[in-house]
Amino acid sequence: MTRKEYLLTQIQDFGRRIFGVFPAQYPREILWAHNILPVEIWDPPLALESAKSHLQPYICSVVQGGLELLLSGKAAFLDGLLFPHTCDSIQNAASLVNDYLSLNIPCYFFQHPRAPYRESSRKYYLAQLKALDSALGKIYGPADPGELAERVAQGQNISDLLQKIYGLREKGRLASSNLDFYETVRQGEYLWPDDFGSKLESFLDLPRKDAEPDRIRIILSGVLPAPRGLLGLLDDLGVGITGDDLLSCSRRLLPSPTFQINDPWADLGQDYFSLPPCSTKNSSIGDRLRYLLRLIKKGRAKGVLFNTVKFCEPELFDLPNLRAGLRERGIPSLAVETEVGEPLSGALKTRVEAFVEMIG
Amino acid sequence: MSLPAKLRYGFMKDYGAPWLLSLRDRRRAAMRKPRRANPLFGPPLKCSGRLKEIMTRHYLLARFASGAKPVAWVSSGAPVELLRALDFYTVYPENHGALCGAQRMGPEICAAAEERGYNQDLCSYARIDLGHAFSGRTPAGSLPRPDVLFCSNNICQTVMYWYKELAHLWGAPLVLFDTPFNFGEVSEGDISYMKAQTKEIIPQLEKIAGREFSESRFQKVVDLSQESAGLWGRILETLKTRPAPATIFDAFVHLAPIVSLRGLPVALDYYAILLKELEERAAQGIAAVPGEKKRLMWDNIAIWYKIRDFAELFAARGCNFVAATYTNAWAETIHLLDRSKPWESMARAYSLVILNNNLRHRLRLMTAMAREYGVDGLVIHSARSCKPYSVGQYDIKRLMMDRLGLPSVVIEADITDFRNFSEEQARTRLEAFFEGLGV
Ligand code: SF4
Ligand code: SF4
Repeated sequence: MTRKEYLLTQIQDFGRRIFGVFPAQYPREILWAHNILPVEIWDPPLALESAKSHLQPYICSVVQGGLELLLSGKAAFLDGLLFPHTCDSIQNAASLVNDYLSLNIPCYFFQHPRAPYRESSRKYYLAQLKALDSALGKIYGPADPGELAERVAQGQNISDLLQKIYGLREKGRLASSNLDFYETVRQGEYLWPDDFGSKLESFLDLPRKDAEPDRIRIILSGVLPAPRGLLGLLDDLGVGITGDDLLSCSRRLLPSPTFQINDPWADLGQDYFSLPPCSTKNSSIGDRLRYLLRLIKKGRAKGVLFNTVKFCEPELFDLPNLRAGLRERGIPSLAVETEVGEPLSGALKTRVEAFVEMIG
Repeated sequence: MSLPAKLRYGFMKDYGAPWLLSLRDRRRAAMRKPRRANPLFGPPLKCSGRLKEIMTRHYLLARFASGAKPVAWVSSGAPVELLRALDFYTVYPENHGALCGAQRMGPEICAAAEERGYNQDLCSYARIDLGHAFSGRTPAGSLPRPDVLFCSNNICQTVMYWYKELAHLWGAPLVLFDTPFNFGEVSEGDISYMKAQTKEIIPQLEKIAGREFSESRFQKVVDLSQESAGLWGRILETLKTRPAPATIFDAFVHLAPIVSLRGLPVALDYYAILLKELEERAAQGIAAVPGEKKRLMWDNIAIWYKIRDFAELFAARGCNFVAATYTNAWAETIHLLDRSKPWESMARAYSLVILNNNLRHRLRLMTAMAREYGVDGLVIHSARSCKPYSVGQYDIKRLMMDRLGLPSVVIEADITDFRNFSEEQARTRLEAFFEGLGV
């Protein structure tokens, strides 16, 4: 079933509302509790045309691609758009859509407190969760508190399953390529949680392989496991990504096992503040470096590939210090910049090959 | 803080700086060749000399501040009143960036950051600041090492990432005043969050400053900021007069005290003098651009390395810039500060600044300014460094035309890094713009 067919079934068979959600962090459980299916907009496969007349060329391809999707009319069926306050580019793109573009899709916003966190950050985050719930409640009726509690537990369960899969990958026991792995993990960007949960369980049931001690192992850091060409190249070179520090993947993954307080609001709050450090949340360099080192150690990785989306300020600012921190510990790294929807250039391919050869 | 450093600072403040500045002035006066008046402009502002003196003194004393006073590096939109009440010496990296930009040193200082791996696409104020930290290069002599980095994300999220780098580099604590972006109206919840933060921030700052926060002192500072912002607003309003007694290029320069010295008596005193001079010029019909034909509005931060060139280019066509969203930013909300409810008013004043507000607000503001200042055209600087200021401008151009029939031009450039400026492309676009305006 294509993504489009899947979404149609969700609407027709389950009466679900579909929301387009921009990157990155948002309380999906609240949407689920309102019978809303969040469909994340990271890298729609569209050539940029209309977006160019609204955005300067120095805006990242994630935002350009998201706006292109909205302007192309392909997202006209959406019941709402949710913009988490992730970075300057998303912030202004959200305001552009809400204030200037008259797309007739209701817009919602979700704010995060920025690190360093204090007591006020926790209270504020909780207030934001409730504000989103109440904004949705005004349109669709209040969510059943029992339903929310179930969805929070389901979210934690999904995180646990993903952590298991990441754990196997770390040990080199998953018999799937980098491409297959991320294709599966990324289905969480649009599947209803029941379906995604089952998908992950079947993925876990796939036959395991023996760890290959000689395999070249790396950590991938950045925004997305994209473009596909990069993952394919790593597969061709026999490189395994044993862990990632990606905004769209592990930085949204709760530590396992998840900890339940049994009050859905408190659980959601607790979940957010226990997420791994992230550039968009203003986590300190020290925290980010420690997280990377932990991944490297656990996955016995030989190096880190930083794949930054061109013009992504939050990532680009941290890069020099992260790389310097790794260098001091004798861990090689390579930094490349890519546009999400574009094929790999020959030059980039050569750089990645040289890096792999060096660490291999 | 050490006693010798305090004595040195006190001596420089009371004797050294005044003596050095007067020596410099005498030398300059002796060497100065009589300057021919530029026929494109009216008589220069008399108080420009005073401004230079104030800012030179500020940067000069900064060199002696370490050890004598707690030193804070501050972002332009942060509530500096908290620091003033604790007697911090404040350094504004953005102001320093503008200074480097105006002296055409942007690319050379940025390069020092780029050599360390900072990408050329990052905000050039940040690159200048980091480049200065790595290389020591600056036209300002030297900047004191920070004891704290104090920033607010009410201007951009970028400034947080930048200050986080500085915190790592200098090993100094980062104190953030987190201002949620106003996608709609500012909410009571947001105000409570910001108020709560001030209560958390003060003990942190007290520890660094080594002294107690005094509410009465804080209220005095709040008054000074509020009054200075009020005067700055009135200064800008003198440009509503036809012909305008100054240009926005003047305002870009005279903005420095409200950005960097806000909350200090010197800023208030200076703006009282400037306002008086401008009111007199307006009353006497003294034009900044004699024969003013068209009145323009500027959007975004200045192109610092082009101020002089652009001032001449436009004046040669009889065009004067009489309004700018950028200079207006320090008049728009800081006057909301209110000593009777300092915490709440501070949260509102700093939350409602233009860059922390949605684009609907920006369009409303620009429409009102265009009407009030009798604007005939709009020049939009699409600044590669500054995404929060620039994203949305293409639509603003369209909407200002639809709503007001206001012609406009977009110049793709950067605030300080002239490697991102194409003279030829700008000239071509401007020629077409001038033609449309009929000048
Ligand atoms: S890639 Fe970076 S700049 Fe672009 S939307 Fe994501 S976080 Fe923002
Ligand atoms: S120029 Fe823009 S991006 Fe840079 S610090 Fe200023 S507001 Fe932020």
